[in-house]
Amino acid sequence: MFRCPAHRCLPHSLALVCLAALLPTTARGQSATKPNFERDVAPILVMRCLECHNERQAAGGLVLETQEAARRGGDSGDVIVPHDVDASYLMDRVEAGEMPPEKQGRPQPLAAEETEILRRWIAAGAAWPAGRRLDLFEQTTEVRAGRDWWSLQPIARPEVPRVAAAQQPGNPIDAFIRARLDEANLRPAPQADPRTLVRRLSFNVIGLPPTREQLERFAADPSEEAWEQLVDEMLASPHYGERWGRHWLDVVRFAETSGYERDQEKPYAWKYRDWVVDAFNNDMPFDRFVLEQVAGDELPDRDEQSVIATGFLRLGTWNDEPNEPLDYQYERLEDLVHATSSAFLGLTVKCARCHDHKFDPIPQQDYYRMAAAFWPGPIAPGSREHLGGPSPEALGYENVLGWTDVRTEPPPLHLLHNGERHHPGEVVEPTPLSFVEALLTSAEADSPSTQTTGHRLRLAHWIANPDNPLTARVIVNRLWQHHFGQGIVRSPNNFGFRGDRPTHPLLLDWLAAKLVDGGWSLKPLHKLILTSETWRQSSDHPRHDAYADIDAGNQLWWRAERRRLEAESLWDAMLAAAGELDLSIGGPSFRPTIAAEALEGLSRKGAAWTASPLDEQNRRSLYIYTQRSLLVPFLTTFDFADTTLPCAARDVTTVAPQALALLNNALVHRRSRELADRILAQETSGDLKRAAKLAWLYALGREPSEDELALARAHLEQQQTAFAQRLAANEKAGESLGTPSLPPGAVLHLTAEAGVETDHIGRVAGWGDQSPKGFDAVQAVAANRPQFKSTSKDGPSAIHFDGQARFLVLPSLELASEDVTIVAVVSDLASDGHREIFSNWDGAAGNSVTSLFLGLTGDGDVRFSDDFAPAGNVTARERPFVLAVVNGPHQAAVYLNGEALAHREAPLSPRRLDTQFVIGQQGNIGGEYWHGDLYELLIYDRPLSEPELAGVGQYLGERYSLAPPAPRSPEQLALESLCHVLFNSNEFVYVD
Amino acid sequence: MNRKQELRRAFPCGLMRREFVWQMGAGFAGTALAGLLGSEGFFNRAAGAAEVPASSGPLAPRQPHYAAKAKSVIFLMMNGAPSQVDTFDYKPELAKYAGQALPEDKEFINSGNRKMGFLTPAWRPFHPGGESGLLISDYFPNVRQHADKLCVINSCHTDSHAHGSALVAMNTGKTFIGRPSLGSWAVYGLGTENQNLPGYVVILDKRGGPISGQPNWSSGFMSAAYQGTLFRPTGNPILNLERPAHIDEQAQRAQLDLLAQLNERHLRERHGGEDLAARINSYELAYRMQSEAPEAVDLRQETAQTLEMYGVGQEPTDEYGRNCLIARRLVERGVRFVQLYSGGGHLEETWDAHESIEKNHGRHGAEVDRPIAALLTDLERRGMLESTLVVWGGEFGRMPFSEGQDAPGRNHNPYGFSMWFAGGGVKGGMQYGETDEFGFEAVRDKVHLHDIHATILHLLGLDHEMLSYFHQGRQETLTDVGGRVVHDIVA
Repeated sequence: MFRCPAHRCLPHSLALVCLAALLPTTARGQSATKPNFERDVAPILVMRCLECHNERQAAGGLVLETQEAARRGGDSGDVIVPHDVDASYLMDRVEAGEMPPEKQGRPQPLAAEETEILRRWIAAGAAWPAGRRLDLFEQTTEVRAGRDWWSLQPIARPEVPRVAAAQQPGNPIDAFIRARLDEANLRPAPQADPRTLVRRLSFNVIGLPPTREQLERFAADPSEEAWEQLVDEMLASPHYGERWGRHWLDVVRFAETSGYERDQEKPYAWKYRDWVVDAFNNDMPFDRFVLEQVAGDELPDRDEQSVIATGFLRLGTWNDEPNEPLDYQYERLEDLVHATSSAFLGLTVKCARCHDHKFDPIPQQDYYRMAAAFWPGPIAPGSREHLGGPSPEALGYENVLGWTDVRTEPPPLHLLHNGERHHPGEVVEPTPLSFVEALLTSAEADSPSTQTTGHRLRLAHWIANPDNPLTARVIVNRLWQHHFGQGIVRSPNNFGFRGDRPTHPLLLDWLAAKLVDGGWSLKPLHKLILTSETWRQSSDHPRHDAYADIDAGNQLWWRAERRRLEAESLWDAMLAAAGELDLSIGGPSFRPTIAAEALEGLSRKGAAWTASPLDEQNRRSLYIYTQRSLLVPFLTTFDFADTTLPCAARDVTTVAPQALALLNNALVHRRSRELADRILAQETSGDLKRAAKLAWLYALGREPSEDELALARAHLEQQQTAFAQRLAANEKAGESLGTPSLPPGAVLHLTAEAGVETDHIGRVAGWGDQSPKGFDAVQAVAANRPQFKSTSKDGPSAIHFDGQARFLVLPSLELASEDVTIVAVVSDLASDGHREIFSNWDGAAGNSVTSLFLGLTGDGDVRFSDDFAPAGNVTARERPFVLAVVNGPHQAAVYLNGEALAHREAPLSPRRLDTQFVIGQQGNIGGEYWHGDLYELLIYDRPLSEPELAGVGQYLGERYSLAPPAPRSPEQLALESLCHVLFNSNEFVYVD
Repeated sequence: MNRKQELRRAFPCGLMRREFVWQMGAGFAGTALAGLLGSEGFFNRAAGAAEVPASSGPLAPRQPHYAAKAKSVIFLMMNGAPSQVDTFDYKPELAKYAGQALPEDKEFINSGNRKMGFLTPAWRPFHPGGESGLLISDYFPNVRQHADKLCVINSCHTDSHAHGSALVAMNTGKTFIGRPSLGSWAVYGLGTENQNLPGYVVILDKRGGPISGQPNWSSGFMSAAYQGTLFRPTGNPILNLERPAHIDEQAQRAQLDLLAQLNERHLRERHGGEDLAARINSYELAYRMQSEAPEAVDLRQETAQTLEMYGVGQEPTDEYGRNCLIARRLVERGVRFVQLYSGGGHLEETWDAHESIEKNHGRHGAEVDRPIAALLTDLERRGMLESTLVVWGGEFGRMPFSEGQDAPGRNHNPYGFSMWFAGGGVKGGMQYGETDEFGFEAVRDKVHLHDIHATILHLLGLDHEMLSYFHQGRQETLTDVGGRVVHDIVA
């Protein structure tokens, strides 16, 4: 049962504080006079009585909205008897402290002054102006907003202010801002320097660092015209849509899975993401943007794209196993009402689900009016097949995540008292919401579709109507917010009573009017903002400290805000600096490699996070797969948006785990290495100074100062010496740095470079174990022996299996536990059928389903025993590759060439280890033979750690020429260290 | 002026949140700057938790609303739902009614449409423990030794019969995902004592995470600073703690020194760099955490006797014993809230004993009984029990009847189940509330999950109605509209 949190919506603390402040002014000095109805009495009745004693609820049969109703009294008889306080039951209850009633055990008595007003009012005859109907929502009071609330008023078209103190700015935005600054006697900060501006512009508009060409061009010619050209360039970039689309994805709770236990994929959610990106890039008029998302399936000119847009309604979480399916339909309605009203209207309509809104003039009916638009959709409990959406047939398109009505005549939607399904009230029709008075009788647009009800299309037209004052205000506020760091209304999803008031109401309206008058096109507004002096001022004001005392929140915009890069920009900026960023746009999402230990917490056995091929992983982070049960830790560490509810503004936290992520995460080290290599490819002379300069240019877009250069050189020298010393020490131990050696402690180590014993025609009879254990492999039967290939121009030594009954036996190998790591360097020439590298399958001994093996099947699908298959896929198999599988107490995982390939949050189910291990076939079945070369085979009787596995992959990769062969030199490592420091620096992470 | 009024006065209407400036002090969850001071949360109009000193991070220790009984919580989460009538809710009448159906006037949802069986007595006998003589079954013989420390609540009930939503409810108060979890509310209200460790730690069962995953330890709409941190019980317990192979401590120190120098120059050139300074500081803390966090899980520092007591190194107690011992070490180091899962993944890998109570509870009981008893012993002998609240329970209970004729398992039951509290200012040797004679539904002194949450917060010195977080125009609380503190169990 849904229990309505009604009283919680009332902030007792706030209400009491404000009421206390209000009372003295209401009652002051009026003891002798007759109370004035409008001034003194009506506020008490509206604020303290009407919540229950209105015509809809009529608690105790009493309605206090009109004089007639009040005189009629309630179930207990007369309530207000003019001139007779003692006979007025209202006063009995009020003076006994019974009315207003207590809430959650807390008494809510009227203040003595209020009681006194009522007493004198009744004593004086309880005058009530003729025809006066009190309405809970009629006007804003100290405790709630009425329909006269600022955000609900028609958008004014204010005059651009004349600025007295300075030359009249050419850009109206500056006039509005300067006017307020002048009033406060504040001067704006000077304009930021060209480099800062270009960097700010680029991150702000496209979410990427600027190119060196852009930086240099504007530094050489920082003219107005050059700036305007740069702004145009940025706004025309296809990466603008990626950047600004991401802001919208936060607002619409975008994710690609359903959440909850099974967390099913929402197939083709990425098409909605691409639709958003395209809409921004094509500067789709914002009214159209609304129409397509709310009712793209009902538009006369509907097409596949407009149906994809209705994915907006499909993005919420979806529970396929709700506790009570009939109740769950109302949860889904709330998600839709909340997503729609917060995204487009900036109001918390959902708060009126159980009762009239406690702070805004949103009666409960309005909630249901909006909900009724979604009611004919796939809301009712039904088959899980379409994950709470319509069938492709109903939608009219295959492979689209969209929304449409599935019932043209749905059952009536009842308002639910207290939000409880068992207490239905009146039937509510999908009519315009009452709080926008200008649109109460708006013409209804009819849907040409006979498949649908047209309800959503009417709702969409109501939202997108130029006379709906919320829609334009809310979106221009979002633009301002993402350009400046804070909105003009600093609670971007709440323009109601409990939200913040606009800091510049006239400017907000001027921008909103400009948007509507300009055909709802966003790009001209972006340009107007970006070319304003306000946007271009420095984040550093020469009189910072004095000004901060006056306006610490920078509400008047006397400087720009310094901003930390969002998670995505940080990720992308490192890739860009390293020269690795793949800027291809759109398409299915990719899964980045995630450390196995970050994958804990998934309950589904066999649920694997399979990293995408590395060549896809360098795309922009916008394209990272958003799985609700497993958001990428690097992103969440840097305050990625919550995906369950609409997120209008991300948190910006500064926490130690962020430092740890940038210091130790493999991702950042890989970028540092790539950047170092990029620099070394250009700077081959070994000149430390020039290398450092390039590091600054690539990472920070500027040259270092002499002072910084000195620090950098000292660091490079210090690190080179240290790395060289370690290298020397390690060489003594037969190891290198950056190319780590194999971890010690292998219980089996076979390498074709050593210990191979062949017969007279080069077939392998024995293969000596290089580990101290001496678990040699043998093949006594000549016909079953694989061929030895010694090192040649074709490659290093290998044991060649031809897929024809060749295999080796490991007669003495014993594994004590299933916590094991198996590493094989192999090539694979087969393209179908099972084939095994290593196995102890023995059906007769009874381990046909509990054997431990490693092999491939089909087109390169990895099988790590039958319990974990497929476990990733190997595409390029003809050349040697390093396949490592790990089974530990917490997980099983597969690595290809040192990179995570597949992982699951559960070890293999128990394995039987007491049967004989063989190499090159499936245990003793006499089949599933390997076809390819085996270069090296290592077994550890423990799960290797992530860095160890990376090291193994790197070591073997270099040994078998899978990766750049040269070990990292001290010079490379030192430069890598410097690049890494720059990626960690405040200058990299903040935008001035 | 009472306490609540004082709190309100600390955050009068209209004061701009952004005018509060956090200074340095970026601890584990660190310093949340401008963005956190936005329209949501702490600084909006009404105060959720107690006053925040101007120079502190979101996890800086804060005063409770009133004198706290408990400083820390260890929540032993029996994932999958143990059966109350087989563990802590003694129902001798079941023997009498054995083989009969539950009376027809008892209404319930048959979760998963399982087979309906017959009333079945406890699968293992109950015996009295301690001076109080609390009746506890033979699935928990070691915990029984601590009967006089336990306050067993037999009248718990919750809002869902499905694991996923019930577990989310036990953790967050609501059956749907997206709300902050109990541990998040605790650290939001109180901060944490040790800035070099997370304030809210979750250790999962190695068999897998709980159903619904991360939302069970999420901070929901609160800042991510308050979310639970997953701890692995060996090696490097948290993410990104391990340096890559080629960077040793000395090399990293050199990096940090250069970083500090560059950042200082960057800071000096700018006015008002509180955010920049906080980030500089967070690196030093990160550096320290790299030694401090592994130290917290390094059980080599414990005596052989202690390890033996927890059952570390022995089966089947090794895993949970290790986790219980780590929980004690974390609480000792100032961690506010620790949650240890028993059971992970699905079905019989958890306490979800559809197939057989005896097999399932026999297995999982043997894994946790001795470690939990050792934890209680250990906390007591170190004088930590008084300030550490230990909570034991699952997401719901199980039916008193079987899943078919002579079937040995039991189905889900949200209508009545048992949890127990120990330490942290609760009365020991006490039983509170009752189910009906069958152990089917709570009938006396019913305790809803909101009441459990309200009581836990109360023991931490937090008023569940005052501890609110401003989100989307509404003062959100853990217990929402419900919740009452069960004062009768408070010592």
